[in-house]
This record gives sequence, C-alpha cells and structure tokens, in this order.
Amino acid sequence: MLTLPEIGLYFSFLLFLVGLAGVMFRKNILFMMVSVEILLNAANLAFVSASKITGTIDGQVVMFFVMAVAACEAAVGLALIIALYRTKASIEADDLKALRG
Amino acid sequence: MQMDLNFIAFVVMGLAATILSGVMITRRWPVSAAMVLIAVMTLLAGMFGLLEAHFAAAAQIIVYAGAIMVVFVFVMMLLNLPPEELRYGGVTWGEMVLISLGVLVAIVLGTQVGQGLLTQGLESMGYAPGQTPAHAKSLYFAADENVKNVAATMFVDYLWAFELVSFLILAAVIGSIVIAKKRSAENANAA
Repeated sequence: MLTLPEIGLYFSFLLFLVGLAGVMFRKNILFMMVSVEILLNAANLAFVSASKITGTIDGQVVMFFVMAVAACEAAVGLALIIALYRTKASIEADDLKALRG
Repeated sequence: MQMDLNFIAFVVMGLAATILSGVMITRRWPVSAAMVLIAVMTLLAGMFGLLEAHFAAAAQIIVYAGAIMVVFVFVMMLLNLPPEELRYGGVTWGEMVLISLGVLVAIVLGTQVGQGLLTQGLESMGYAPGQTPAHAKSLYFAADENVKNVAATMFVDYLWAFELVSFLILAAVIGSIVIAKKRSAENANAA
C-alpha cells in the first residue's frame, strides 16, 4: 500500500506531464506561460511530498522559494507578452518566427 | 478510518487536479483557462494540507491563487485579444497519438525506474519507506507547529537563499517595468 506522500509524487509526475504537453502543443504564449505554472506546481508537490517522506522540513522551504521564483517569472513573462503584443499585434508563437524584434 | 478518509480525499483531489489541468490546456479562451487554473491551485493547496504542510497550503492559496493569478487575469484583460487572435482548434489527432505515446513511456518509466530510484535514493540517505527516519530533525517536524518550523529553517539554514530571492524579486520588478513600459516618442520615431 502506497503512503500519502508517495501517491503525491506520482501525482506530481502526472501534473508535470500535463504541463509539459501544454508547453509543447499550445502556440499561444499566454497558454504556454500558464502551463509553466502547472510545471512549477508539480515540482512544488514533489518537494512537499519528499519533505513528508523524509520527515524534514527543507522541502517546504524550497517550495516557498520556487513560489517566489514563479512570481518573478510571471511578472517578467507577462511584461514580455505585453511588449510583444505591442510590436507584433499577436501573441501566437508562430507569428514570432523572425525573433528580430 | 481517519487515515482512509485522508487517503480518499488526497487521491480524489490529485485526480481532479490532473484532469482539470488537462481541461485547462485545451481551453480556447485565456480567462477561462485562468479560472480552471485557480481551481487546480486550490486543489493542490488541499493536498499540501493533507501532507501536513500547512504553511505551504496557505501560501499556495494566497500567493498563487491570489497574487499570481490576478496578474495573469489582469494581463489577459489588458491585452483584450480579439476573438480572431485565438486560433485554437482543439487537440489534433497527431497530438493525441504523441500524448498517448508519452503517457505510455511515462507510466513505464514511473513504475519501473522511478520507484526503484526513489527507494534507492531514500535508502542511500538512511531512510526506510513509510517510517520517520531516526536522524530526522525532530525539532523541525512537530505537526502542530508547521509555520514555526518553516520559519526556523528558512531564516537559519536558508538565510542566504532567502536574501538572494528578495534581490531576484527586486530585479524582476524593475525588469518587468522596463520591458513593458511604453516607448517614448523619440524612440518610436527612430524605429
């Protein structure tokens, strides 16, 4: 019988797969960023589960740092999306092939 | 009985979170995807609570479902995309085949390799599955003092990382303002 945190590790695996599919298959940059949030959350779940398995608190501290980095990533990424939409009038990744600004 | 209820709730929340994230990445409208993502975050907060990470659960709701998602929704509203900009036609057959192949490989890897790696890694650190290890810092893991323990670890063992993260946030704030601000008139004329 699996314990709770071990099941949590499997769920983090599944969530990571879903987020990865979102990053790979969506062409809309907004959706790619939202999928990255799912990836980070899957990592958080793995950290918290590992913290429970090993009986130490370090995983929860690292999870808090991941959260802070996710906030930074969202701020910078969304600023980039606004700048891109202003110059290209599109947020589809296919329209940004040139990448010459 | 208590344990069983926790178990059932955990599995149900995990399945719901996984399915809802699948729903999320196939939405056409960004705002509805953001709403589904808030549900996923809240379910994950419940899972953290069942794993006795109470501070993590609270921070998940306040920071993720509160702050970060507000920024996302704010930018979606600010962009005010016209419907013809959202050219998403749903999951194609090629993607379906790729996804099922990926899930197959992932299940094989996860059950065959992942379990072995997990047990091996834990044993190499001196942990036995399903029990609290003898040398775990018992000071840091009293179930009813989670916030205190997180704070004690964060501000003693991880103080440097904490300060560096605060500088990272400062840099991100300045960077996002510089990137997103409107170009001045002379720049626009030059370009």
